[in-house]
Amino acid sequence: MNRIKKIFRYDNVGMLFVLPAFLYMLIFVGYPIVRNIILSFQDVDAGNLVRGTKNFIMFANYSELFKDGVFRTSLWNTLRYTVLCLVFQFIIGFILALFFNQRFTLAKPVRGILLVPWMIPVTVTALMFKLLFATDIGVINYILRSLHIISKNIEWLTTPGSAMFALICANVWIGIPFNMILISTGLTTIPKELYESASIDGANKVQTFFHITLPLLKPTIESVLILGFIYTFKVYDLVYVMTSGGPVNSTHMLSTYSYKLSFEMFKYSKGSAVANVLLVILLIVGIFYIKVTTDGEED
Amino acid sequence: MNAIRFDRKSIRNQLVTAFVFTSIIPILLVNIIYYYNTSKLVQQNVEGMTKANLEQTKVSLDVWLDSYEDIAILDSPGHASYMEMGIFEDLTGKFDVDNYYEGTVNSCTVDGKLYGVPFGVNCLALYYNEDMLKDAGCEVPTTWDELKTTAKALTTDSVTGLALCSVQNEEGTFNFVPWLWSTGATSYDINNENGIRALTFIQDLVNEGVMSKECINWTQGDVMNQFISGNVAMMENGPWQIPTMQSEAPDLNWKVTLIPKDSQYSSVLGGENYAVINGGNVEGALDFLTYATSEEKVKFLMDKFGYISADKTIAENQFEADSPYAPFVEELNYAMPRGPLAEWPSVSDAISLAFNQVITGTATPEDAAAEAQATIDGIVK
Repeated sequence: MNRIKKIFRYDNVGMLFVLPAFLYMLIFVGYPIVRNIILSFQDVDAGNLVRGTKNFIMFANYSELFKDGVFRTSLWNTLRYTVLCLVFQFIIGFILALFFNQRFTLAKPVRGILLVPWMIPVTVTALMFKLLFATDIGVINYILRSLHIISKNIEWLTTPGSAMFALICANVWIGIPFNMILISTGLTTIPKELYESASIDGANKVQTFFHITLPLLKPTIESVLILGFIYTFKVYDLVYVMTSGGPVNSTHMLSTYSYKLSFEMFKYSKGSAVANVLLVILLIVGIFYIKVTTDGEED
Repeated sequence: MNAIRFDRKSIRNQLVTAFVFTSIIPILLVNIIYYYNTSKLVQQNVEGMTKANLEQTKVSLDVWLDSYEDIAILDSPGHASYMEMGIFEDLTGKFDVDNYYEGTVNSCTVDGKLYGVPFGVNCLALYYNEDMLKDAGCEVPTTWDELKTTAKALTTDSVTGLALCSVQNEEGTFNFVPWLWSTGATSYDINNENGIRALTFIQDLVNEGVMSKECINWTQGDVMNQFISGNVAMMENGPWQIPTMQSEAPDLNWKVTLIPKDSQYSSVLGGENYAVINGGNVEGALDFLTYATSEEKVKFLMDKFGYISADKTIAENQFEADSPYAPFVEELNYAMPRGPLAEWPSVSDAISLAFNQVITGTATPEDAAAEAQATIDGIVK
């Protein structure tokens, strides 16, 4: 009797509740990751995928990767794409959040409408931007030409540098609502009394922003930036639909290059090595995120 | 090549893989096999049919499952990769392919041995907008020079003369190789006068504005859409676009002709092949192939799936002379397969990269050819 009681002690029952989620994670998240890591140390391509002779070649895939120009380009692309997107999304999102935090008649409905870009499926957005940035039939070139800013159509998506610019534009458009809504929520948690007492003390708008709004928003800002980093860093659909990594491999990201290696060229091991590089970087950011958020809770 | 015997389980895995790679075609195969088995069972069991209906359902299912593990159907450029795995039966001398288009037979042949039977084929040809050609007073181009002149004459503010899918993947390579092969260059030997001439020709078309640089973002479907919207006067495309074109733009006047040539007519072969999996019921599989390649069955299947028969005799009578499909049958005589080579995806990547480099102007034809050759030499030794 005692033993049964012991089993159903409070802590153990808790474990039982966690068990389904734990098993789910183990099977659907844990196993693929472990399998992928093993795969990246083997030599597997279309030829020996089913044959079963999968030799372990340890770090050969990785050392080949770092000699591979396209891999280096995609690593650098992913980093600069993420950083540039974050900067613009965050600044514009922040300004919009402050704006819609003012009480005016249409503030709430308009803020709702601004969420639309976040809700549209990314592939749809990508197709839309692909058409907007098209050389001969694109609206952007049409407007620029009508305003006499350019005389000849700009080849947005077919020139290496500007293709990256177009991708960043599209992603900033998608990301702004995400930043805006999280920062808006953060703003509502700041007690109004603080602003009132600050104004009694004679602080101006700029001072209240830097000494009240920003410090109190710090945890929100950290979350927004880190979550934004993770969302942006693993971009796949947008790039695949808009440029498929082209022109001439210039807009490949780690995710799209991994896909290309694995499923277009059937170099499964190399593809999974690229995916693991992506995983390691995101893991570091993820650990950083957990540390930052738990530190905040202890304060 | 090591012939490795496979147990049923690994063949099942293999088929799942093949299924993923070749999408809907296996479903079609299941249907043909189902018809075949039903007809066989009816033949064999006519007397006992009513008595043993239940029994037969079971037998039919067993035979069906067994046959599915004996036959595979797959995209022809991938055929070599699977041959390399050693899972296909050598059909040399067991199945008569004399009547088939040479290119289609080559796509399932390695070292002079036959490892498959062509199912149905398609190839690329040149579509042109008849009204635009008439208005510009142009003849149908047959050589590269004529093509360039015609394309120039057809290009206006809103129309570009020529379009071909130039995406940097297998689809792009599929559209590039006819130009490469027309010069006499092969897929594995690009860094020479011929290969460079093909790259230069495409680059010139883009630089002179008769082909839009945006082709690098257009799939074959996109190219077709541009053509039926009247933004493009001529395009390289396949016969599978015809049904859509007829329903989407019934009033558009277009015709199909051979892809203009440099030194020889050339096109690229697409399509599916049957293969027999080794270690199984090879005799039954061969019997099935004889059944499935009979004229009546082939006609039914080809019409259903918009393919051209790989059997010359059937193909020649498959369409009326004025049918838009007819030029594709003629083009088949010049069509060659990609590969067959297990590492074809890597070679293909090098070829499409070279064409993309010259189209976007990021490399000269000479540099692009040299770079592609270096990659290909690293693969094919």
